[in-house]
Amino acid sequence: MPKKSYPEVPFAAIVPCPTVENDKMVTGNWRSLRPVVDMEACTSCKTCWLMCPDASVNFDEAEGISFNLKYCKGCGICSSVCPVEAIRRVPELDFTD
Amino acid sequence: MTTKKRATGLTAVCDAWQLVDIDVTASYPIRPYTAVFADLAKRIANGQMKCEMVFAEGEHGQFSIAHGASMAGARATTGSSGVGLTYAAEVYSPIAGGRCPIQVLVGDRTLDPPGDFGSEHTDCLTMRDNGWIFGWAQDAQEALDNSLMCFRIGEDPDIMLPQIVAMDGYFVTHITQDYEVPDQDLVDRFLPPFKPKFRLDVNNPVIMGPQITPEMGPPLEWDRNVVMQRAKGKIVEVTEEFGSVFGRHYAPFVEEYMTEGAEMVFLLQGAHAVTCKSAVKYLREAGYPVGMLRLRWVRPFPEEALQAIAAKFKVIGVIDTGTSYGAAGGGGVLLVETRASLSETPDKPIIQGFTSGLGGEVITHDEFFRMAEMMRKTIEAGQLVQSSTWVNFNDYV
Amino acid sequence: MPVQYEEIKSVKKAPEEEFYLPGHRTCAGCGPAVGYRLIAKAAGRNTIFLGPTGCMYVANTSYACGPWKVPWTHTQITNGGAVASGVEVAFKQLIKKGKIKDEFPNIIVMAGDGGSIDIGVQAASALFYRGHDVLFIMYDNESYANTGIQVSPMTPYGGNTTFTPPGPMIPEGKKLFPKDPMLIFAGGGHPAVKYAATASIAYPVDLMNKVRKGLAFEGPAFLHVHCPCPKGWTYPAERTIDLAKLAVQTGMWFLYELEDGVRTWSRKVDKLRPVEDYLLGQGRFTHLEPEHVAKLQAWVNERAQVLGLNATLPPVR
Repeated sequence: MPKKSYPEVPFAAIVPCPTVENDKMVTGNWRSLRPVVDMEACTSCKTCWLMCPDASVNFDEAEGISFNLKYCKGCGICSSVCPVEAIRRVPELDFTD
Repeated sequence: MTTKKRATGLTAVCDAWQLVDIDVTASYPIRPYTAVFADLAKRIANGQMKCEMVFAEGEHGQFSIAHGASMAGARATTGSSGVGLTYAAEVYSPIAGGRCPIQVLVGDRTLDPPGDFGSEHTDCLTMRDNGWIFGWAQDAQEALDNSLMCFRIGEDPDIMLPQIVAMDGYFVTHITQDYEVPDQDLVDRFLPPFKPKFRLDVNNPVIMGPQITPEMGPPLEWDRNVVMQRAKGKIVEVTEEFGSVFGRHYAPFVEEYMTEGAEMVFLLQGAHAVTCKSAVKYLREAGYPVGMLRLRWVRPFPEEALQAIAAKFKVIGVIDTGTSYGAAGGGGVLLVETRASLSETPDKPIIQGFTSGLGGEVITHDEFFRMAEMMRKTIEAGQLVQSSTWVNFNDYV
Repeated sequence: MPVQYEEIKSVKKAPEEEFYLPGHRTCAGCGPAVGYRLIAKAAGRNTIFLGPTGCMYVANTSYACGPWKVPWTHTQITNGGAVASGVEVAFKQLIKKGKIKDEFPNIIVMAGDGGSIDIGVQAASALFYRGHDVLFIMYDNESYANTGIQVSPMTPYGGNTTFTPPGPMIPEGKKLFPKDPMLIFAGGGHPAVKYAATASIAYPVDLMNKVRKGLAFEGPAFLHVHCPCPKGWTYPAERTIDLAKLAVQTGMWFLYELEDGVRTWSRKVDKLRPVEDYLLGQGRFTHLEPEHVAKLQAWVNERAQVLGLNATLPPVR
C-alpha cells in the first residue's frame, strides 16, 4: 500500500489575504430560505446591505439590491431589518437553480 | 575594536543585544536573571541602545510581546528564570511553529516548590519539546558568543526558529568574569539585519495562524521536524564562521576535554564544566583515565556528534543538574537523551547517570572525585552498577 | 480639543469598501460577524487585526483561510493584549529607526468575552496600563461560544449555558452577575485609557464612528460591542439585530462613551422597556421563574441608576 499523501502546506501556515471573496469557505449551500427582494417596495436605504454578516447583499445605484447567492447563508437578517418588508424569504426548493 | 570587560554573563548577553541592535524587548523581574533588564534599561536611558523595553505583565506576557514584535518584523528578545519559564509554557510552541526567531535569555533556576533561587537546568529543559533551539554557556564569554551565534542561526532564512541562550543561575549570571566584547564592524559582518519571510504589513497582507484541517497538521509538524534537523548543519556552519570572524573557535556540539586515552568521561553542560575540568586535571594526576564532554546544545540534541566519539570510552557518566521525576533510568533529561542517542551504537560505552548540583549547589572537586571512583567501579564490574546516582544520596562508594 | 476623525453620517453614506469579505464559517446570523464587518469597514485599509482564539478565530479561519482583506494574526486566547503591544512597539521602533517605510497602522484586537475579561484580562489590562496605541475591542456574545457555549463572566444572571444548566438545585441556572469591562478598563483604574465606549450591532453607524474615534485617540481605547449569538442564546437567526436593539431598549445593554471619565449617552432613552421584552424568545432564558426575572429587572434598574441614566424604569414585580 502506498504511503498517505498530505496536502502542500504553506510556510508556518501563513496564507495570503483574499481580495474579493474567501472562496475556501463557500457557504451558499447552507441556505434553506433564499432572500428575494421586491425592488418596487425597496427604498434603497441600504440597511440590508450594511447589516449582512456575510457581505452578501449587493447594492448598485442602477440595479438596486441583489444577493450574493454563492455565500448567502439565508440567515434572514436582511429581511428582518428591512423597514418596508421588501425582502421575502423563499424556500430554496422553490427554485430551479 | 574589541573591548576587554569584567562583568557577568547577564551583562555579556546585554552587550550582545546591544551589538545586534535589538528593536524590542520585554522585561519582568525574577531571580536570578533580572539584572539583564536593569542593565538594558540603563543603556536605553543613556542612549546606548535604541530599543524599546516593554514592562510585561508577567513571563507569559513577555514571550507574547516578543512574539508580536517579531511578527511585525522586529528583532525581539526577552528572558526569564525558573517558574517564570514554565509560566510562559503556553506560547513556546506557537512561537516556534510560527517561525518567529525571537531570542530568550535564561538564567536557570530551580523550579518551585519550594522557593529556591539556586541554579538547576530543569526549568528550561522542561520546555524542550516545543521546537526551540537552545544550549548552555559555561561562562560569560560563551554566553555572549552563543547569543550572537543564535541570532545568526535562528534568523537564517533556512531556519527561522526561536532560540534560548541558557546560563547557570548565579555561576554565570552573577559571578564577575573577564570577557571580550567584539568589534561592532565584525558583528555587522557576521549578522545581517533581520529579514523575516513574512511580516504584518498592510501592503502585503497575510493571515497568520489560521485554523487548519486535521490533515494539514502532520505536514506542518513535519516541516518543523525538517527545520530542526537542518539546524544541525547550520550550527556547524555558523560555529565555523564565528571562529573565522571573531577568532574564538568552539566545537559545534560537544567540547572534548582531556579525552585522549580516557576510559571514562563526565558528560555535562554549563558552568559546572569549569569545576569539572579542574577536577579532571587532578584525577588524571591521580591516575584516573578520565576526560570531559561538554554539551553546547540540547536542542537539536547532538546525537551524531556523540555517536562519533562514544566508542572511545568505556563509561560515560552523565551529570544532570536537574530532575525529571519518573524518567527512565531514574536520573534527569541528559541521561535519557544520551542513552537514547547511543542505544544503537556499536561498541557503545556503559552510560550511568549522576544527579548533582541541585538547588544551586556547587559540584565540588570532592564530588567529581567520588563520581570518578564510581565510574571506575563500573569499569571494574564491566556493567552498570547503578543506573542513576543522586550524589550524596545513594552513592555506592 | 476634540479628536479628529472622519465621521460616517448614515447607513447610506457608510463606506462601500469591504475588508471583511464573504466566505467564513460563522453561524448564519452571527452577531460578532456583523460586528467584524462594520469594524473592518470603519477601520479601513491601514489596519492590522489580532484575533485571540474564539469564534472570530476558529469560525473565520476554517480552514487555512480567512475573510480579511487586511493583515490578520492569531494570538492565544490569553495574550491578545500582549501580542498587540509587541506589534505596536515594533512598528514604532522600526519606523523610528528607518528600518521600514510603513505608515503606523491601526492595530485592533478583536477578542471575545474570555479573551478580554477572563483568561485574557491580564494582558488587556497591561496593554491599557502601558498606553499602547491599540484599539482593543471586545465582541461580547455572553459566553464561551466557540467551545460550544459555556458560561463566561459576561453571561447574564439566569443565562443557560452548558456549564450553567438550570435544575432543581440551581433553578436560575446562572447565579452570578456579569463583570463590567467598561468600569474595569475605563473606570479610572487605567489612567492611560482616554476613550472607551459600549456599542451594539443594532446601531451600526454609532458603532463605526466609535471605532474611528477610538482609533483617532492617541494611546489605547476600548470598545465593548454587544453581539447577539443565535447558537448560544437559542433564537432564530434573523432576530440578531432585533434582539440587539431590544437589549438597548430594556437596559440589558447600555450605550455610552467614556471620555476622560465623563459619560455621554449615545441615545436618548426616556423609558426602559421591561426586561421580559428582551428575554422573550431567547431559549437561554426560558427556564426563568418570575422571581428570577424580577432579580434581573432589579439589577438593570440599579445599574441604570449607578450609571446615571435618566429614564423611567420598569417596576420590579
